[in-house]
Amino acid sequence: MTSPLLPVAVDAMGGDRAPAQIVAGARLAVADGIPVVLVGRPEELADVHDIEIIEASEVIAMDADPGASVRRMKDSSLVRAAEAVRDGRASAMVSAGNTGATMASALLRMGRLPGVARPAIATPLPIPGSTRRNVLLDAGANAECSPEMFVQFAEMGAIYARDRFGIAAPRVGLLSIGEEAGKGSPLVKEAYDLLADTAWQQQAGATFVGNVEGRDLMGDEADVIVTDGFTGNVALKTAEGVAKAVVKALLGAFDASDDAREGARLLAPDLLPLYATLDPDTVGGAALLGLKGVCIISHGSSSAVAVRNAIAVAAELVANDHIANLRAALGVAAD
Amino acid sequence: MPAETHVEQGPLDRAAIVTLVQERLAEILEIEPDAISEGDSFADDLDADSLALIELVEAIEEELSERSVGFRIDDEDLEDLKTVRDAVDYVHGRLG
Repeated sequence: MTSPLLPVAVDAMGGDRAPAQIVAGARLAVADGIPVVLVGRPEELADVHDIEIIEASEVIAMDADPGASVRRMKDSSLVRAAEAVRDGRASAMVSAGNTGATMASALLRMGRLPGVARPAIATPLPIPGSTRRNVLLDAGANAECSPEMFVQFAEMGAIYARDRFGIAAPRVGLLSIGEEAGKGSPLVKEAYDLLADTAWQQQAGATFVGNVEGRDLMGDEADVIVTDGFTGNVALKTAEGVAKAVVKALLGAFDASDDAREGARLLAPDLLPLYATLDPDTVGGAALLGLKGVCIISHGSSSAVAVRNAIAVAAELVANDHIANLRAALGVAAD
Repeated sequence: MPAETHVEQGPLDRAAIVTLVQERLAEILEIEPDAISEGDSFADDLDADSLALIELVEAIEEELSERSVGFRIDDEDLEDLKTVRDAVDYVHGRLG
């Protein structure tokens, strides 16, 4: 594995805690040996040290219409970051800003891989008590999907699982309302038939394991779980909400009495690593798959640590030739 | 010396614009160009969402900017482009 020669372009203006936490995260990544270029308004970026800046005078707001914003704000930090990748000035882009606008910028400027109907958001899912992570896609890019898109999600998800988590032979499951083949909506049933075909599995080096259910998202039934973007986003937010609620309840219980606090102190060394697997800051963002470049979407409230981790994931995917691997799995020649 | 405002290329007739729109839209939607008819609605017949329409607009602008410097489709007009014919007629009118 070689280090990327080109810097990762970081949208310095996107996110609830931009630009301070974004810049701080960039400095952490640089300290880890990852080259970074910040994209944004130089006069608003403090403490950048020696980090190069690509100037961008406009900022797409978190609640702005994605497509219209990318059209109208051609000098926005998001658009300029995507152009940096397109033009060979950066190896990848990272943003904690408007997710829809990030997708639109990357799609319109970097372009889709030929044959990809629509890019998908691939989100790592923690497996409590394990260092492994499952991959869920599409986690929200496409509310409505065709059965054929599910196969593309499976292909791209398998490659992502390999390049990101080193899973040599990913198992791909189809999210449904029952394990049995034939369970699910008409769309899911059609997708099942297409996913059961061995051709894509051989090309992607993956195995379709059939239907999986919501309870398997953080389990060991499949490494990659495919679904449409609406269902995926609901599932993701549900999992996040449940994890947060359980952690909050546990913290409350640990503070309920002197005995409980003493017990918590004894358990802390074993519980903290478990908490770390659930901490969103450690995830390293979600990847937008199906584009001609690497694009990592970090959570809107990303801290410096979250930004650093997202940059590290971007660099790792570049170093692992992720886009070339996607092309091979999808049967697409290089440009 | 007068400033050049146009690159010297032959005029783009309506048929050529139809072909341009079909080909670009086909690339975006991953379908065959001859599966796209002028009367097709972007949303209802072709399942083209707003982002696909923006992709189409940007592709047309890039293609036609070589013929007509600064050619641009106004964002305010985008919502009126419901069918392939609407887009063709709009572009034809702007190039007119």
